[in-house]
Amino acid sequence: MKVATTSFSLLPSILSDKKARLIVITGKGGVGKTSLSMASTKFLGSLDRKVTYSSFDQSPNLELLKSLNIDPLNLQVESSAQEYIAKKIGSATIAKWMMKTPFFMSLFNMLPGLGQMILLGNIINLLENDPELTIVLDSPSSGHALTMLESPANFKEMFKTGLIVEDIEKMQRFLFEEENLLLITTSLPSQMATTEAIELGKDLISRGVPQVTKVLNDSLSNCTEITNSPEEQYPDFIKAKLSMENELIGSLKGESWPIIPHFSLNKQDQVINAMAGFLKSNLEVTL
Amino acid sequence: MSGLQFKEVEIFCGTGGVGKTTLATSRALVLSQQGIKVLLITIDPAKRLKQVLGLSDSTQGVIQTIPLTHFHIEGASSFDALLMNPRSTLARIASQSAEASDLNNPIINILSKPYGGMNEIMAIIEVQYQINTGLYDCVILDTPPGKHFIDFLQSSKKIVQFFDKSFVEIFKFLGKRITSKGEKPKKRLLSIIVQSGVKKLLTYLEKVTGKGFVDDFIDAVSGLYRNREAFLTALKFQEDLKKTSFSNWFLVTSVEQGKTQEAIGLKNEALKFMHKDSFLLINKSLSPYLEDWNPKNNGDTGLFKLCNSMKARENEIKEGSKEGYKDVLFFPEVLGATPISHVVELAQSWK
Repeated sequence: MKVATTSFSLLPSILSDKKARLIVITGKGGVGKTSLSMASTKFLGSLDRKVTYSSFDQSPNLELLKSLNIDPLNLQVESSAQEYIAKKIGSATIAKWMMKTPFFMSLFNMLPGLGQMILLGNIINLLENDPELTIVLDSPSSGHALTMLESPANFKEMFKTGLIVEDIEKMQRFLFEEENLLLITTSLPSQMATTEAIELGKDLISRGVPQVTKVLNDSLSNCTEITNSPEEQYPDFIKAKLSMENELIGSLKGESWPIIPHFSLNKQDQVINAMAGFLKSNLEVTL
Repeated sequence: MSGLQFKEVEIFCGTGGVGKTTLATSRALVLSQQGIKVLLITIDPAKRLKQVLGLSDSTQGVIQTIPLTHFHIEGASSFDALLMNPRSTLARIASQSAEASDLNNPIINILSKPYGGMNEIMAIIEVQYQINTGLYDCVILDTPPGKHFIDFLQSSKKIVQFFDKSFVEIFKFLGKRITSKGEKPKKRLLSIIVQSGVKKLLTYLEKVTGKGFVDDFIDAVSGLYRNREAFLTALKFQEDLKKTSFSNWFLVTSVEQGKTQEAIGLKNEALKFMHKDSFLLINKSLSPYLEDWNPKNNGDTGLFKLCNSMKARENEIKEGSKEGYKDVLFFPEVLGATPISHVVELAQSWK
């Protein structure tokens, strides 16, 4: 049950790499995407980095953000689109009118990927305008993250020419060519979740993402309360969980997945604070 | 739980990672053992069902028969399963249409890719189609997580909006044929204001997107409009869902995660669509194991703390969102490694 310390220090060092301007955190539902996103935001903030959290197209958990003292980026599809059109045609009034036409309303209803692309474009814009800024994107789960990252290519194919295609190409360069993107898939130590992360990793790389970091979250075998206690005190169900987890980690075929332990705390804000502290303390070890 | 009567449609919904797919599969297994003809459909693009049933990607969009021997259960029983693929659904609409060539449009092709964005709308059409075949006693739906499930529920509204009259005016103005072959177009006078507005809109749009897109998009929309019957039949499904005699709703939540708030949020959204025959399924419950575990209080970092936090999470989910359900069903955490062992164990809990 001993784990090499590299599995703890790898994630904080990858996260704090200054080249990583956009940190996208995805994975199967319920694996801790939101917790890791918020903990990463707090962690980078504690290193005096200029960092902000975005829940992308999902409505943010404001109560949780407030208790963690995180000020999220608030982007709306409609206003982002209106702003974009206004800039392109040089008139805010016309842009406002265009967005209200049934034609545009239908366009957005039928093409959910269009809204996602506009949000992503807006995020990249913010990053390009401020070289000091890092954005942590609490991404939709696996399949819907693919929709998001595939949207620029799809719309480029659709639009073919025009101003928007130039902007899409700019987005793609920023995302896929210039190493600004840090893409993290999160998993729980369960077969379903790790299989999904491995498949998703392959899918993302085939779509042009240069590299994918796979993280194993909520590891019971690395939980302080477990490692601090003698094995003979573990109840049978904990023993069974530990043996399943160790078998799973063994089956990851030599790949070293950065590990985040299970935190024995009741509330999500407590867990996130503990996770941010865990990242910080393991970064300092490597310095 | 033996009294839980099956209905024509059973919907499994919930936030991500709570076990919708394995629970829906275990339900399919239990019902098929009783001789009921079951179709299990997953409309989640993550398609965990594929992993549970041992299917390959190439089976997407094609109904597969799953013998119960896959779950190491003897006998000749089986159920059918479908990994929803928007492109197959679209291909079927086209094959049944006199206007098939209309749907062969670059924009429609891109949108109906598995991650192209038309998933939810195509899913509601597919489900209605499968019900109409009359081949099944029960259609079980494994839905996408959270917000995307609400998107699915709202897709019929989107279909209606899309074929909205004022929108159609634009295409009439552009001289596009929006009626089916043989159907007589209704006369409608366009005001000069609408006309000039449309003209202006298209000029601006072309500036941003290029002319090619505007032409393709107009063709795509008029093509979809001429095939609107195929889309509008799906609206019946939304109406039927409101009937208690037609559907069972299973909102799945899991003890594993601190997701009580999110589950309540989803329920409040889904309540607009749900009826009184809805059940709360609490999955991955550790209660049977925790009841017998009382470690000694040996300081702040020992098993006592772990045990207490597990018990606290368990209680939070139990107390959190019970209100408004016909019944609450508990499914203990399965301590098996493979998805198959999970399905088989969960099936025991249904019985």
